[in-house]
Amino acid sequence: MATPAHSLSYAGCNFLRQRLVLSTLSGRPVKIRKIRARDDNPGLRDFEASFIRLLDKITNGSRIEINQTGTTLYYQPGLLYGGSVEHDCSVLRGIGYYLESLLCLAPFMKHPLRIVLRGVTNDQVDPSVDVLKTTALPVLKQFGIDGESLELKIVRRGMPPGGGGEVIFSCPIRKVLKPIQLTDPGKIKRIRGMAYSVRVSPQMANRIVDSARSILNKFIPDIYIYTDHMKGINSGKSPGFGLSLVAETINGTFLGAELTSNPQGQGVAVLPEDLGRNCAKLLLEEIYRGGCVDSTNQSLALLFMTLGQQDVSKVLLGPLSPYTIFAAFEELFPDYV
Amino acid sequence: METKDQKKHRKKNSGPKAEKKKKRHLQDLQLGDEEDARKRNPKAFAVQSAVRMARSFHRTQDLKTKKHHIPVVDRTPLEPPPIVVVVMGPPKVGKSTLIQCLIRNFTRQKLTEIRGPVTIVSGKKRRLTIIECGCDINMMIDLAKVADLVLMLIDASFGFEMETFEFLNICQVHGFPKIMGVLTHLDSFKYNKQLKKAKKRLKHRFWTEVYPGAKLFYLSGMVHGEYQNQEIHNLGRFITVMKFRPLTWQTSHPYILADRMEDLTNPEDIRTNAKCDRKVSLYGYLRGAHLKNKSQIHMPGVGDFAVSDISFLPDPCALPEQQKKRCLNEKEKLVYAPLSGVGGVLYDKDAVYVDLGGSHGFQEPDEASPTHELVQSLISTHSTIDAKMASSRVTLFSDSKPLGSEDIDNQGLWMPKEEKQVDLKTGRVRRKAIFGDEEDESGDSDPEDDEEMPEGDRMENSSSDETEEEEDAEVTSKVYMADKGAKRQRLEMEEDSEIDLPAFADSDDDLERSSGDEGEEEEADESSEEEGSDAEERDNLEPKTIGKGSKSGLLHSNGLSDRLNLEKTMKKAALTTSDSGHCTAEEAFASEDESEGSSSLSTEEKDSEDEALVRKKFPKPSQAVSGQKRASESLIDETSDIEDLLKEEEEYKEASNYSTETSGALKWKEDLSRKAAEAFLRQQQATPNLQKLIYGTVTEDNEEEDEAGEELGGLFRVSQPARECKYKADSLDCSRFHLEVPHDWDLEEVMDSIRDCFVTGKWEEDKDAAKILAEDEELYGDFEDLETGDVHKGASGLDTQTEDVEEEIKEEIDSSAEESAKKKHLDKKRKLKEMFDAEYDEGESTYFDDLKGEMHRQAQMRLKKHRWYKKILKSRDPIIFSVGWRRFQTIPLYYIEDHNGRQRLLKYTPQHMHCGAAFWGPITPQGTGFLAVQFVDGTTPDFRIAATGIVLDLDKSIKIVKKLKLTGFPYKIFKNTSFIKGMFNSALEVAKFEGAVIRTVSGIRGQIKKALRAPEGAFRATFEDKLLMSDIVFMRTWYPVSIPAFYNPVTSLLKPVGEKDTWSGMRTTGQLRLAHRVKLKPNKDSLYKPIVRQKKHFNSLHIPKALQKALPFKTKPKTQAKAGKIPKDRRRPAVIREPHERKVLALLDALSTVHSQKMKKAKEQRHLHNKEHFKAKQKEEEEKLKRQKDLRKKLFRIQGQKEKRNQKSSLKGPKEQLK
Repeated sequence: MATPAHSLSYAGCNFLRQRLVLSTLSGRPVKIRKIRARDDNPGLRDFEASFIRLLDKITNGSRIEINQTGTTLYYQPGLLYGGSVEHDCSVLRGIGYYLESLLCLAPFMKHPLRIVLRGVTNDQVDPSVDVLKTTALPVLKQFGIDGESLELKIVRRGMPPGGGGEVIFSCPIRKVLKPIQLTDPGKIKRIRGMAYSVRVSPQMANRIVDSARSILNKFIPDIYIYTDHMKGINSGKSPGFGLSLVAETINGTFLGAELTSNPQGQGVAVLPEDLGRNCAKLLLEEIYRGGCVDSTNQSLALLFMTLGQQDVSKVLLGPLSPYTIFAAFEELFPDYV
Repeated sequence: METKDQKKHRKKNSGPKAEKKKKRHLQDLQLGDEEDARKRNPKAFAVQSAVRMARSFHRTQDLKTKKHHIPVVDRTPLEPPPIVVVVMGPPKVGKSTLIQCLIRNFTRQKLTEIRGPVTIVSGKKRRLTIIECGCDINMMIDLAKVADLVLMLIDASFGFEMETFEFLNICQVHGFPKIMGVLTHLDSFKYNKQLKKAKKRLKHRFWTEVYPGAKLFYLSGMVHGEYQNQEIHNLGRFITVMKFRPLTWQTSHPYILADRMEDLTNPEDIRTNAKCDRKVSLYGYLRGAHLKNKSQIHMPGVGDFAVSDISFLPDPCALPEQQKKRCLNEKEKLVYAPLSGVGGVLYDKDAVYVDLGGSHGFQEPDEASPTHELVQSLISTHSTIDAKMASSRVTLFSDSKPLGSEDIDNQGLWMPKEEKQVDLKTGRVRRKAIFGDEEDESGDSDPEDDEEMPEGDRMENSSSDETEEEEDAEVTSKVYMADKGAKRQRLEMEEDSEIDLPAFADSDDDLERSSGDEGEEEEADESSEEEGSDAEERDNLEPKTIGKGSKSGLLHSNGLSDRLNLEKTMKKAALTTSDSGHCTAEEAFASEDESEGSSSLSTEEKDSEDEALVRKKFPKPSQAVSGQKRASESLIDETSDIEDLLKEEEEYKEASNYSTETSGALKWKEDLSRKAAEAFLRQQQATPNLQKLIYGTVTEDNEEEDEAGEELGGLFRVSQPARECKYKADSLDCSRFHLEVPHDWDLEEVMDSIRDCFVTGKWEEDKDAAKILAEDEELYGDFEDLETGDVHKGASGLDTQTEDVEEEIKEEIDSSAEESAKKKHLDKKRKLKEMFDAEYDEGESTYFDDLKGEMHRQAQMRLKKHRWYKKILKSRDPIIFSVGWRRFQTIPLYYIEDHNGRQRLLKYTPQHMHCGAAFWGPITPQGTGFLAVQFVDGTTPDFRIAATGIVLDLDKSIKIVKKLKLTGFPYKIFKNTSFIKGMFNSALEVAKFEGAVIRTVSGIRGQIKKALRAPEGAFRATFEDKLLMSDIVFMRTWYPVSIPAFYNPVTSLLKPVGEKDTWSGMRTTGQLRLAHRVKLKPNKDSLYKPIVRQKKHFNSLHIPKALQKALPFKTKPKTQAKAGKIPKDRRRPAVIREPHERKVLALLDALSTVHSQKMKKAKEQRHLHNKEHFKAKQKEEEEKLKRQKDLRKKLFRIQGQKEKRNQKSSLKGPKEQLK
């Protein structure tokens, strides 16, 4: 009986973000125990701690208790407050890690959120800022969260391990979400992309573009892949390059894919040609999966559907990603109050 | 079905109505007569002024738009819960009589004593729950929140009473339910006019309170202590046809008006420890939104609890099944009021009363409410076995067992019927098949799955009867719940009874065996708190357990009816292992004792194989019936059993796996599983592990295992190796979807698979531009092409159709799953003790800490003292708020927002203004209305609602400040600089306020500059002018005030009977002072003293000489020189007379006095004489006048006579006429 009946109790650090985000939205405290309890290096990692700090920044009156070893976390959410915030993200994870959760929370703040995030903009683990910009923001727009203030701007690019990127995200607030009816993804009418390279030869980006086009051209001629070579302070602290692709359908569905080079000093060097080709294939894979919301944003769409008007929203999804399965079915529906 | 033979409606061709209709019809056709003034006289209606026209148009439009409401989505289920009718009014107004009359009107049954809510079937589609609301403010608040319709009784002979207005105010705050006024005591008016006047007056007052045109009913008088039948009938009609607009709060929150309550705590525990944790089950219809299991609930007047378990129960007061006919027959007019002892069993403190069901006792065995059935069975145990055998199947087995087990039989009896019914159902069978398929398919790959599915299946079927499922397993039909009406089932049951019996015999054996086993278990494991077979024996003695048994009986007997209505049971189960078993991974686990108990129970099945696992389900219900457990508990139990098994035998891992899964499985999941199963059949096998993913035991597994290892502790601590599962608990938290086996996109066929996803690819038939063009061109184009296209289309259409059908079926299955009842407990965490207990608050995390954690929020509200409340409210005085569902006492701070956004503390609420109130309490959504009362105990003639308002914000960062003035005195004054002392105590303090603005009382502004060395706390300050030593310097500061963290739920219902309205929480300081006779010592300075004013002395006005000179004479001061002394020479000498002279003078004096006296007398006499003379004269005059008058009179008379005569003589002619 030690745990308050009202708070939810979990073990393990998986889906930490989802749990905390849903806890914040529903106002129920959560207790997460045994965070990497059997690990050699137990407790919360830096990036998780940073995430919790971020939550603390955007809320008002949150209570966070972490035990000595960091294996137990008690989070009692406060009010979503918003406002102008700056946050230095951990370089262990990309900014996408933080941004994904912010996307879930931002429309429900008390004051419109305008946040500056610093860290790694593109990495191999998390959806990069580019992809979120091209795929997640349209999802938000579908729910009526749009306007001039909905903006995601990449000021600086930072690649792992050094980081040094900077992103400005601002989002308006909405009292109610528009219900959606997305049942027909439509045909893909164009493919856009962004090949970026920082602290490497600008030629890399061009090579990526060529190789990616070689694959995609077989399907559709309307392809344009921008090259983005950032210099000086805007290029962050580590070298790297990558490609993010997005396919837009005639019905306004955006499907994204991306690939990034291995971080400096980790793994073998990746040829830009391979990267371009593989990324194009990933996009094809995403297209194969189909759905009106791409696999990265499934949980976001489901969350907003849950928070929106009852009964009316409809969305067609491709195969559910494991993350969505957890988010939607394990978390969202049973315990959403 | 039977509609065909009904007569068709025939139109009326004559009579006034028909004529009217004809007229209307003609008018519709614009052939109407010239009655329409507009047509007859178009000029009169011509547009005179465009402006006026526009205005009138606007006005009508405005009025129209005012009437518009936001459309409300009707979320009431097909069979809505009964409508809550609250009968409210001041005492002695006739509430109980009205309820009795209403019940009698609807059901033809007479309830003598009404306690608690009474549910009746009032129509084909409507049920009513009538509840009486007294004058206790707690009750009024609680009932106003749940009411759909309020019958507001008003004593017309007396007029409105405070209760009425209080209730109206409560309603306004908590969402306005429909309110209907009922005037009673109308027979006390003697004169009709008086009555009419009173009615009108009351009606108009009522309209201003509710809305203009609100319905007010008149109950004219009593006949034999009851209201007149016709009036009651009309009132009933009104109630039954009334439409309701859903209230936001009610529709968005699940709530239950419990119509029955059972304390399931072991009486022994209560005896030994009066404050032990209780286990209580509550029953009622769920209203509002969906209620989730294990959720936090609030019981008004009791406190906050967590639900241990929720389950569906068959509807005790079901609507009639046939909708076709016009009215209800007598059998369908059900009453259900367990608290008043109707419709079943009345539970008292130490006895159980059985109700015979009144005049409709005859209908019991088959169609009366299930409780009747139960009752019947209970009664029938006293008759002989043969009689029982003959009379009913229900009692067939009762002879073999004690009372409690009878219910088992009952249950057994009912279940197969359903089963049979089920068998007929194709859908169910299909589902079963699915799982079989699945097992086949996944069996080899991983053994978990095939275990999982059946278990999940069972969970879905779940609910009341597991035995069924056991049967199911044997018969290979999983389904037991019929989707079509229960009637059919019943019929079938009767037919199949003989066939069913043998099956039961089997099951019965099982039952016996299991119970026997249990008994052994009990002996072996005395420590376990589970009630064993001896509990069964106890059944006979204990009313409570009987009640339970009856409950289960009720459940099973009703199992047939597929009525969706949900009854909620909440039990506080400190002992039951079930909880631990049933906990999802997120839920806290129950204590170890419980699990021990469960394990002991499970040991019997330990050795058994898989079938044993299946069989387990059967014995459990028996236990449940025997009074120790509910079916659901047992179900849960078995899961925990399985866990135990797992602990003991490593090989049973898979079993545990699925057990955990089932334990984790909530209602929605079950549905999902079924859906998914359907999906399997229907859809491709491409994503075979989707389902598994969804039910993924996954994280839960891990957690539960871990917890089990931890929590079981003591005896059963088993350390288990962490099992590998798909998602590790500590896996990477990433939203990307990585595929293990990506497609090879270099292959042509793979590429082709998505080629059509692009605009360049192939389009659908109806969208392909080329096709459309072609079709346009040649209308009668290639026949074959079109044909194939058609065929294709048709096929696709078929496909969708079948899909639809499948979906429908699926939905049906879902609904049936929902129906499938599940038993439950409420595990209350702790019980609020009656008194504050010091040891209660010790330890690390207590209940109160939890409570605090839950209610950590500060809330801000806009509050206005009620204008009828006589006092003003004081900051920091405890006050009772009613917000949301809750009533609680808290300490608010009142504040007002200054124009610069500062929130300034107020000592008292303003009289006629809104102000802010901040308090510490439960989280309530913004925009929720609330009301405040100061006391809920006792009765006051005054209006009790102290304040009303709305929740504005839940901001924790609110800063309420109060003004603090620091004063100091100058001790050295230079020109504009002064040294000030006495404001601060140290240089540090001064440093903090450097640059702050200060001011003197006389208004000279200045600034703090710097601290001085001595004296301590003195500082240099500059001012805009030179100060005086007498000046006082002050600085205005704002000091933040913290909101007292006090939250005290009003636990009035925990008070013993009869004292429920005596709850008093924290007292105000004023009350405490009064109680302890402590007089406040006022500050002497703030006392009023008599004002002593010094006499003001004004100096004389002095005008300088020069000025005086310059003044005009008029304004010059005219100071007369004082008469000086007369000089001696001008002073006249005194005359001294001679004695003789003096004598003469004296004589002269005397003479003159005499003379004057004489004269005076004479004058008086003369005056008197004159008066008399005047009088006489007047008299004479009068007489003279009189004489003259008489004379004149005589004269005139003579004259008149003369004239008459003259006339007579002159007018001879008219003489005859005159005659």
